[in-house]
Amino acid sequence: MLLSVLLLSIVEFIGRFHPVLVHLPIGILLMGLLLQALSRYPKYAISHGVIKVVLLCGMFSALASCITGYLLSLSGEYDDSLVAWHMWMGICVALVSMLLFVKVAKKENDLAYRALSAGLLVLIMVTGHLGGSLTHGSDYLTAALGSGLGPAAVAHKPIPDIKEAKVYADVIQPMLQANCYSCHGPDKQKGKLRLDDSAWIVKGGKDGAIIHPLHATESELMKRILLPAEDEHHMPPKEKTPLKESEIALFGWWIDQGANFSGKVKAFPQPGKIGAYLLALQAGNGGSGGPKASSLVPAAPVEEAAEKDLEALRAKKVEVIPVAHGSHYLSVNFVNAVDVTDKDLQLLVPLQKQLVWLKLGNQPVGDSGMAAIGQCGALTVLHLNDTRVSDKGLTYLQSLHNLRLLNLVGTGVTAQGVVSLEPLKQLQSLFLYRTRVELKDWKFLQQHFPKTALDSGGYVVPFLPWDTIDEMRPKKKQ
Amino acid sequence: MTQKEIHNQRLVNEANARALSHLTRRHFLKESAMGLGALALGALLPGCGIGTSGGAGLDGGIVFDPANPLAPKLPMFPGKAKSVIYLHMAGAPSQLELFDFKPDLMKLDGQDCPDSLLKGKRFAFIRGVPKMLGPQAHFAQRGQSGAWVSDYLPHFSTVVDEVAFLKAVTTDQFNHAPAQLMMHTGTGRLGRPSIGSWVTYGLGSENQNLPGFVVLTSGGYLPDAGKSVWGSGFLPSVYQGVQCRSEGDPVLFIRDPDGMSRDLRKASIDAINEVNKQEYKEYNDPEILSRISQYELAYRMQISVPDVMDINDEPAYIHEMYGTKPGKASFANNVLLARKLVEKGVRFVQLFDWGWDSHGTDPSTSVDMGLIKKCKEVDRAKTALLLDLKQRGLLDETLVVWGGEFGRTPMMENRDGKQNPFKGRDHHVEAFTIWMAGGGIKKGASYGETDEIGYAAISGKTTAFDIQATILNQLGFDHTKFTFPFQGRPFRLTDVAGKVIDDVVA
Repeated sequence: MLLSVLLLSIVEFIGRFHPVLVHLPIGILLMGLLLQALSRYPKYAISHGVIKVVLLCGMFSALASCITGYLLSLSGEYDDSLVAWHMWMGICVALVSMLLFVKVAKKENDLAYRALSAGLLVLIMVTGHLGGSLTHGSDYLTAALGSGLGPAAVAHKPIPDIKEAKVYADVIQPMLQANCYSCHGPDKQKGKLRLDDSAWIVKGGKDGAIIHPLHATESELMKRILLPAEDEHHMPPKEKTPLKESEIALFGWWIDQGANFSGKVKAFPQPGKIGAYLLALQAGNGGSGGPKASSLVPAAPVEEAAEKDLEALRAKKVEVIPVAHGSHYLSVNFVNAVDVTDKDLQLLVPLQKQLVWLKLGNQPVGDSGMAAIGQCGALTVLHLNDTRVSDKGLTYLQSLHNLRLLNLVGTGVTAQGVVSLEPLKQLQSLFLYRTRVELKDWKFLQQHFPKTALDSGGYVVPFLPWDTIDEMRPKKKQ
Repeated sequence: MTQKEIHNQRLVNEANARALSHLTRRHFLKESAMGLGALALGALLPGCGIGTSGGAGLDGGIVFDPANPLAPKLPMFPGKAKSVIYLHMAGAPSQLELFDFKPDLMKLDGQDCPDSLLKGKRFAFIRGVPKMLGPQAHFAQRGQSGAWVSDYLPHFSTVVDEVAFLKAVTTDQFNHAPAQLMMHTGTGRLGRPSIGSWVTYGLGSENQNLPGFVVLTSGGYLPDAGKSVWGSGFLPSVYQGVQCRSEGDPVLFIRDPDGMSRDLRKASIDAINEVNKQEYKEYNDPEILSRISQYELAYRMQISVPDVMDINDEPAYIHEMYGTKPGKASFANNVLLARKLVEKGVRFVQLFDWGWDSHGTDPSTSVDMGLIKKCKEVDRAKTALLLDLKQRGLLDETLVVWGGEFGRTPMMENRDGKQNPFKGRDHHVEAFTIWMAGGGIKKGASYGETDEIGYAAISGKTTAFDIQATILNQLGFDHTKFTFPFQGRPFRLTDVAGKVIDDVVA
């Protein structure tokens, strides 16, 4: 018993050399074929003996690859039909290389010799490709040609109505597809587990069932997912994209509800956050990962600003830097600048395509400077707090259609002037603390800016009897 | 030649003479041997990917410019937050009296703690079998979000809709100093850079006349971990926190001494820099450039710091709002200063308020008396901070974090097995509450839950690493790629752990 287990593990150990060994026959035999082809030209007179040795080496390495490959296939972690094809093609490679060696040894340069050479070339390429499909997945090559996004980045198809959606087909299966199929799918079955069909999921893997319906915490699937990321049994493995919190919760929820393969989402209770996670799938947000794109920077790329325009601003101690690595959009901050005049703001105009964030707070600039700002149509964030801007200056800003945040704190603007900003449909926040906008104007402004959060400021923290602070402080303990 | 030039020349000559005296025959031989080795090594190392300074990969693409260390730098992706105000309540406030409402704990008040909660656990002071201690405060749900906040914080209760609560934070350090280090440097041991240092190293600072990382303390004592919680560790030393005071001179020795005019000060700094430049030409040590820029920053700070650190010029209604009393060292004054600093483009402001260690050994450390007094000291100011940042249009780009270094037990402390004279709680690592606001944090959110007595996290468990990862994420950094090469490997603030808490990110 012990001996057979030991034998099995030795078999598997030897089998695992296959992915290394296979590269030898590919390289050596191709080199042999190349040398043969070149030897036709007198310029590259290659000794016949060299070609013989190369082919001999190629032949033996092909044999070694066949043997180790067979041992590896016994582990059964791979798709049977693909493995069968790969195996027979590999055996053909070995056989053909033997025949070719015999031909070369006999110095027979006939038609059969050439046909064998051509055949070997084709066989090597097909076998190699099949092997690659086994290890990396059949879509490995073509994925790079596609949109450049790996299979993991495939977003959930937005579900038109989450209540009517199928709990398995629309919620669980897409998550399995994105995260698990590459190792537990049609091409590969690590741990003899296949997750691309309900029957396989119920059957489980090498160690038995992976799902214990109604008991998520006792299901191997959930146990593996919930292991610490550095545990070697954690799924998905460390080098793959980790599952999102929402995905983990949804897997657990699905098992707790009985691991149903046909019901609709609405048939199951949705405790706690599950409802929100499911709703997120409906909006098509379920697949988005990583840092969320900021709405404050346009998605479309822009050309780089001219260095001389940046230097002109930097000479005035104005900070000009891109908003992030790899972006040409600019953030400009006047916090260190001194003696800024309205005329200096003309320096911003050449950056009108790139400039998205501008801080001009506490600078003695006024209405005439706003003409220059008004030309910077890419602006999304504009701080004009404690400047000399008045209603007249605001009219220049009507053209800033991308503006999301406008800070007018401490300026002399009135409600009449602010209303002139009505064309700014993207405006999300408008700060009007310490301006001449009066309380009675407030309703009027809110009507004109239904989608904008208007902040009047002037908050107070009321005094409560509670506030009387006793001076007693704790003493430091030693 | 003017007097000044003669003086400068003399200093330069002196430096030259001293430099020459280093060059002995022995020195020459040593240098040439080392130099050959260094040449060879220099040729070898780039092949290993080491020594290619500024190369992306090892250091996340951050270039350290010693001549201009605080110049603003680019984040990895556009960050929502530009600056951070971190309010640390040193000593660890009791989550069970402030945010984590546990009515079931009330029913157990005075009963012996069940064995299951004690088995295999270690506490700082609890020995034997302690009694359970019910919540000492009255709780209510506040605002639209329905967040539970106790009546210890009546002002803060009105702004909970701006805030995201993390209610199942855990740590692995149950003593103050290591736990504070854990929160701020990512390890319980000394020697790693603090989060403010990492942030200023990665982003620089907007204002070139002020330090990029300012630390303010109140409560009468420094945090237990000392100045290491704002240390720069292995990062260049210019990124350590600059401790400012709200009483007396804001920075020690910032004022020119009597009889020293500003012109003379400038002249002497110019002369020193001249010597340093010579020194740099000779030795090419980037730390010398760093020193030159520090002298220049210090000179500019002499004007800008007293100005920004002076809260007297704030209008009376702002003082009323924060509850500040100019001229005194208080948390309220520090909070107002923090707002002023952030407004001026300072990157990271770190506040420590000492005195939250509610053990119940005397009235001032009891959860029903001393804790109330501490809450009164901070409640108005921190509420005012959120409202004031909001009305100035700064809350969207300023991340405010409030919390302690660990939580407190649902059991009443029994130091050395004897009941403490006042109601107090021991240090507790398995659950505490931290809140964040502004800087792209989801408003009115709450993440994480504890069990029915508030002993341990049951869902949404987070760690110091997760909080650090989230802070870096808001500033535009992927915490897994933000590294610094040290001792042969890239180091991260979050080491090998940490996950951005997506549930509180807007």
